[in-house]
This record gives sequence, structure tokens and C-alpha cells, in this order.
Amino acid sequence: MSRPVPVPTLLSRPFWDAARRGDLVVPRCTSCGLRFFVPEPACPGCMSREWGYVPSAGRGAVYSVTVVHRAPGPGFDTPFALAVIDLDDGVTLLSHVDAGDPDDVVIGMRVRVDFRAFTDEITLPYFVPDTRHERLTTE
Amino acid sequence: MAAIPAATRWARDGDPVNDRQPVVVGVHATEQALSLPDRDAMDLALEAVSGAIADAGLTPADIDGAQVDWPGPGGVPGEGSSWARMLGRDLRWTSDSMLDNAGSRGLLKAAAAVRAGLADTVVVGGCKLVSRGGGPVGAGVPLEFADVWGSYVVAQFALVAARHMHEYGTTARQLAEVAATIRNNGTTNPEAMMYGRGPYTADDVLASRMVATPFHLLDCCIVGEGGAALVVTTAERARDLPQQPIAVLGGGMEYHQAAYANPALHREVGQLGRDAAARAYAMAGIGPHDVDVFSLYDPNSFEVIRQLEILGLCGEGEGGPLAASGAIAVGGKHPVNPDGGCLAYAWNGTQQMTLKVVEAVRQLRGSAVHQVEGAELAVVGNAGSGAQHYEMSVLGRTR
Repeated sequence: MSRPVPVPTLLSRPFWDAARRGDLVVPRCTSCGLRFFVPEPACPGCMSREWGYVPSAGRGAVYSVTVVHRAPGPGFDTPFALAVIDLDDGVTLLSHVDAGDPDDVVIGMRVRVDFRAFTDEITLPYFVPDTRHERLTTE
Repeated sequence: MAAIPAATRWARDGDPVNDRQPVVVGVHATEQALSLPDRDAMDLALEAVSGAIADAGLTPADIDGAQVDWPGPGGVPGEGSSWARMLGRDLRWTSDSMLDNAGSRGLLKAAAAVRAGLADTVVVGGCKLVSRGGGPVGAGVPLEFADVWGSYVVAQFALVAARHMHEYGTTARQLAEVAATIRNNGTTNPEAMMYGRGPYTADDVLASRMVATPFHLLDCCIVGEGGAALVVTTAERARDLPQQPIAVLGGGMEYHQAAYANPALHREVGQLGRDAAARAYAMAGIGPHDVDVFSLYDPNSFEVIRQLEILGLCGEGEGGPLAASGAIAVGGKHPVNPDGGCLAYAWNGTQQMTLKVVEAVRQLRGSAVHQVEGAELAVVGNAGSGAQHYEMSVLGRTR
């Protein structure tokens, strides 16, 4: 068994297509304007089925982080910093923050998306420290 | 000890209004071990069901509802009505869902069926050997935006714990005190998987290898195999049965979202279960400080700290100091998991939730291995995936 590869669905295909181009896109409800993640069959705010993907700037802050030393299976380089990222433009994502030393990743750290090819089809949105905002990492 | 609440007075005055009060009259836990290579899930489920029925002083044909795992071989795997042929009668109530067959959720659904008159005597429980599934413990289905990042149950809880520590100053040592206390209960419980393996100090926990910060190995529960079951019937039926009936006095359930697909966020689920607890206490006519013993989900040390808060034993963010004060020890103010919990007694998949009910019932019968003296009221709290769900029941001794 190796690291699980995401299998795009009817809901997520545009996300992975954009990721392969180096663009981060997130679902946005056409009816109520809510941005949400992960993609759902209808908007979690108003249950409208009218939603589409919109671009995200891919910048945000670490809401929480755990340094995983025991991975759930083979195919992971441990330790790694598994983090919840609050994007500035409205959704929350699970990802890895690659800061060199995973113990350097802390809550409140400013991060930006950093796409890395995983398979021919899947490019993953990692995050790295956003040095442009280095002076603001004092939450 | 707490005063017996009004809801249980039926046992003394024979109030016919409460004849359909749901009561637990039988429980059974199979052996629990890291591995039971000579047994399969069906074998363990059959033992659990037979054992609970026998403990209740009933025969299989007395059971008219089965909320029990059916792993097969035989019957139709996953279809609860497969139990009709084992029990030798047509059923009035069943369930096909693994989570509906365990713990407070299973108990409350069975109690609701009994109270409503849809069935009279329901068995809840079973066995699914999740440890033989091959993959990491988690949702059991591929999750597109979680699996690729190496997210799994320990890491999901760790993300909540880390934020709790950040916001309230909860410390790794407070977590370790929880783990050591509950593990030491298991160390001296002959039925526990970790029997004789301790004792542990908080320093031992902190010195064990890191799994996912802030959780060390000894902060995390064991994964093993085993089954469990319970029997619920009416107060009226229980009058003829040998065991002291344990009343289901209240309950509440709370679901934030489906498990694991999205990470558990402290700001969304840190207080998850508070509404369920308030509902359960109100239904039972009690408050948190009336409860004598707590049987709580402990997949890791932190989840106990979180539950002390949502159960109303302290304020938000105050669970760490309370847990580390000695309050959760068997002789403390709020004893938690005297059997050793998931940390040291057993975690066997979904039926660990039923083991929480089994321990609460034994405590209220006065027959637990580590008995909380004079226990009259118990809380069972089940949770999972970070925790994105919470199911709580209040049980009471009745005579």
C-alpha cells in the first residue's frame, strides 16, 4: 500500500484540473455567496445546487497543526506537519505545511499555497511559510 | 452519593405510568485482546448476544428486537434481520447500521423503540473486527481530501487538542495525567488488555514515543478485538428478571458532520456534545454534579479533558487542570473509566461504545472490578472522529 491518491469525482474534477495548472479554486455558492470546502452536492449554507469554483489567492494562516510521527500507512515521509489552514478568502483546508523542520510550523503562522505534482493527474496544494507576511506571525 | 431522581421512583411505588420505562437488564463483554486469531467476528457477536440474553435471565425467543452487527458468514452480512433465524422468532425491530448497533446511540434507539411500544425487548451490540481491515483506523471509505495528507483518527483529534492547548494553556502533562490515571485502572483490571502492564506515571507517558503532537504513544488507545452486547426491556418486564434493572433516564445525540471528510476544527467541535448533555441531564432531571461515575470515550487523553467541559463539570478551557487534579480517579470527585477505558481495557472498533455501557451498568449494579462505592447515577459518553459526533446517555440504579 502506498500513499492514497485522490480520485476526482463529479464534484471535485475542476479543483484537480485547476491544481494541475497551479491554480487554487474553491466552491462558491451562486445563490448565497458562501465559499465552502470540501465540495458538496449542494451549498452547506442554503442547500442551493447552483455553485461553481472561484479562484483563491492561496494565502492564509495555520489554524491548527500536528506533527505526525506515525503515519497511517506507508508512502509518507515522517515526520510531517499536518495542518488546518484558514485561507484569507474564506475556506479552511487540510494540507501539509513544509517549513523544513515540521516542528517550526506553529499556530498563527502565515502560509501560502505551493503546488507539487503527485501523479500525472493529481497535483497537491501544499503550503509553505509566507515570508511576505513574516512580521505578522504573532497571533 | 446522588439522590435517586424522580424518574426512577417507579421501582419503589410501582407507578404504572412508567411501566414502559426502558431499562438495561443484561450485559456481556467477550474477551478483549490485541488479537483473537482463533475467533471471527460472527463467533464473537454470537457470544456477545447469547451472553447478554443469559445475563438478563431471558431466552433468545424473548427478544423481539435486534440492533446487532451481522458480519457473517451465513445470513446476509450487514442485514440485522439475519438475527431472526438465530433468535428463532420474527423480529419487531432491527438495524442494518454498525453505529446504530453500539453504545449510547444503540441504547437510545432501542430505548426509544421500547418506550414507543415498537418492541419490548431489544438486544444491542455485536462485533466487527475493524482491526483486520488492513488500512488505518478511520472512515473505512476513501476520502479524497483527507487520506492523501495522512490524516487519520489520532491526527484528527490531535488537531483539536493542539488548538485547545493554544487557546487555554492546556499542557502535555495534564494530558499525560489523564492517560496515566485511566491506564492504571486497566493495569489492575484482569479483563483489561493492558492488565499488569503498568503502573504508569505522567512522566512515563511523556517519555513514550511521539505519535502525532501532542499525543505520545501512551496518550493513545490500544486497538484490539472483541465484542459486547446489552439487552433493553421495559420496567414492567424487568420485574420478573433476576438482575437489578438499570434505567435509561436520559439521552442526547449531536452530529456536526460526517466523519473525517473535513478536519475537526476546535472552533466548531471543541464544545460538541454540550447540547446533547444538556438535553440528557434535563430528561433525567439531574445535573452533572449528581453523577457518580463517567464512562467516557477515551481514544486519547485529550478527549477526556474535552468531555469534562462539555459535560458541565467545569468551564470551557478548564478541563486540563480539573483532569490533572485527581478528580477522574476512582476515588475522585468525577471518576472516569474505572475499567481502564479504551486506553487500557479495550478498543475494538464500534463495540468499544457498548463496553462503555457495560461498565456503567456494572458500576450501577455494584459489580464492577473497580467499584465506585454506592454509585447510583452514571453517564455514558461516546464520540468519534475528532469529535464530530457525540452520543450520551444517563443511567440510574433503580432499587
